[in-house]
Amino acid sequence: MEPQQVDTLTGVLDKKMTRQLKQYLDICARCAICKDACHQYVATGDLTYLPARRAELIRQIYKKYFTKTGEFVPALYEARDPDESLLDELYESTYACTGCRRCMYYCPFSIDTAWILSVAKAILIAADRGNEMLGQLADAALMKSDNFDMFRDIILDGFKDIEGKVKEMTGDPSAEIPVDKEGADVLYVALAGAHSILPAAAIFHEAGTNWTLSMFESANYGYFFGDAEKARRIADRFMDEAKRLGVKEVVITECGHAYRVAQFFHEAWSGEKHPFKVRHILEVIDEYIRDGRITVRHGAITEPVTYHDPCQVGRNGGIFEQPRDIVRAIASDFRDMTPNREEQWCCGGGGGLVAIAEMEDFRLKSGAKKLEQVKATGARIIASPCENCRLQLEGLNDQLDLGLTVKPVMDLVVDAMEIRR
Amino acid sequence: METYLYLTSVVGVYIGIGVFVVGMAWRIYQWSTTPKSPVRLGLFPKPATSTGRGLKMLKDTFVAPHSARIEPVMWGFAFAFHVAALAALIGHGRLVVEYTPLVRLLGGDGMSTFAAWSGGTAGIVMTVAVLFWIARRTYGPFKQLSVPEDYFLLFLLLGIIVMGNHMRFLGHVPVETYREWFQSLLVFRPVMPAEIANSNVGWSLGTHMLFVNVFLVYFPFSKLVHTIGAFSANLVRSE
Ligand code: HEM
Ligand code: SF4
Ligand code: SF4
Repeated sequence: MEPQQVDTLTGVLDKKMTRQLKQYLDICARCAICKDACHQYVATGDLTYLPARRAELIRQIYKKYFTKTGEFVPALYEARDPDESLLDELYESTYACTGCRRCMYYCPFSIDTAWILSVAKAILIAADRGNEMLGQLADAALMKSDNFDMFRDIILDGFKDIEGKVKEMTGDPSAEIPVDKEGADVLYVALAGAHSILPAAAIFHEAGTNWTLSMFESANYGYFFGDAEKARRIADRFMDEAKRLGVKEVVITECGHAYRVAQFFHEAWSGEKHPFKVRHILEVIDEYIRDGRITVRHGAITEPVTYHDPCQVGRNGGIFEQPRDIVRAIASDFRDMTPNREEQWCCGGGGGLVAIAEMEDFRLKSGAKKLEQVKATGARIIASPCENCRLQLEGLNDQLDLGLTVKPVMDLVVDAMEIRR
Repeated sequence: METYLYLTSVVGVYIGIGVFVVGMAWRIYQWSTTPKSPVRLGLFPKPATSTGRGLKMLKDTFVAPHSARIEPVMWGFAFAFHVAALAALIGHGRLVVEYTPLVRLLGGDGMSTFAAWSGGTAGIVMTVAVLFWIARRTYGPFKQLSVPEDYFLLFLLLGIIVMGNHMRFLGHVPVETYREWFQSLLVFRPVMPAEIANSNVGWSLGTHMLFVNVFLVYFPFSKLVHTIGAFSANLVRSE
């Protein structure tokens, strides 16, 4: 291990040091209460995935370079250098973590292991060991905004196609997908692809909302990659758009991590307060239904439906009831999983894992608990907002040929929505 | 024996308490001068008011209801240990000053019986909990998670508790005599009553104190700073 490399990596830790991180590193009792919280440890029994063990790797560096006792008696803490073997292990356990924070929920000290691992990612990136796929996806997103003139027409053409479908769906030839509309109340930030634009457009149209569609997708691979600077710049793309258009609120599509980035991280990262509100699309739809701005037909779905709380929407985003209210308004047979809401098991698809091909086997294996939960409900349809969750749930469904349907909540709404002519 | 007791139960106590106080102050100073993360790390659901958050933090810290749900057995031992440790700490307060109102209430003999029972129970509970923890660490499937620090602390605790139990169950030195020794330390005119030195528990007091002093010296540099850190970390949960 080059001394210079050690300096660089401990320098990252020093720069990322906050009171919370320091306390987390100082106080963990290694009681392992967190082990049964983690779907990955439970499914594999592999120490690499035990939450406290993942954090322990950072603690080993911290003890050696940031505490006197660890410097003089490293053996007492198994303190060590951030050398190749530590970095290998760190890569394995860090990029596997979905950031579900179920371990934090059960820890007696509420230690946020995922937060410690966000610092681990910064260290790995500094060691040139960031996950390649996630890094490329992050760079691609920035490429799009840096060379926007090149992409503008392609994007607008795509929106036009979707607009045609909205007209069909609503039976209203004047229905449109407004883009770049100054004075709009709502900036809707979707994902790349029609599936997250079309249903929202139909719903906004029916509700008579003065809205406009963002040119950028809300997905944020900078966040999964673990580069806070890139993550901020990726979110800046639509935050700047919102400021420029002067909207009253930014509405994020169903996607979990994108909502969390927009609602909880972006202001802290940019050091500025947003001049607009940030809401999740399901909060908005729930409000439309309650206010009668759209009507959905109760009993439109008679098959049993269950709802999966994506960790970033539920435990980490605080949206538990709105999606349930929506599903209950449509389905006559709603069945909650056990446990649910803040205790919901992570499905295993978060953290950008669905984008990493070599993780697939591990990822599907780690869905064991979720699968058990779903099966126990006897539901035929799983409604779930987050795209990562849906890909994982579909993967599990295909692997075992369960014949379930996995749907975004918005799709259920559109199917059951009474179109006013 | 006199030298052993002088080193462990006079000089050592000053060192132990001194390092403990300065070390903990240093730890708190370090924490409070490190800037907080601007990102809010709270989990949902969380109370809307700061009073609500404060109360939730106290409940999360003292009762740890979530931990109880996921690993009830471990929680049971941990809860029992901490309550017993608190009881023992309160019991040790008699070395500083007699709890006169309680003595008046129970009578002299009653107080002794009460102390014998409560102290004895706390001692046994702590012994069992520490043995459970050692076994859990040694035989659990996650045993590689433990580092030497964990065993060092647990064996120190075991040493302290066993020696304490020895004095409690096999000694005949009355509390007044111990108090004479401890109060003399507090006024910096240390004396070690011959009654203790010459009894069957002289060496066990010495060894009890030896372990206690090492424990106190090490405490601020160990994971046991969770005694303070638990409160602020659990508050972050609701922010
Ligand atoms: C008030 C909130 C506290 C909580 C939630 C808490 C929780 C815990 C937990 C979960 C363990 C892990 C046991 C293990 O597997 O080793 C532990 C150990 C321990 N705690 Fe606490 N504790 C608290 C306060 C205290 C206090 C005030 C003391 C003061 C003496 C203390 C002393 C210890 C000791 C001596 C151990 C065993 C050390 C070891 O396992 O190495 N704790 N505590
Ligand atoms: S539950 Fe918390 S204190 Fe216990 S080992 Fe896990 S992270 Fe550490
Ligand atoms: S955040 Fe989730 S995936 Fe990551 S260690 Fe904790 S429980 Fe496991």
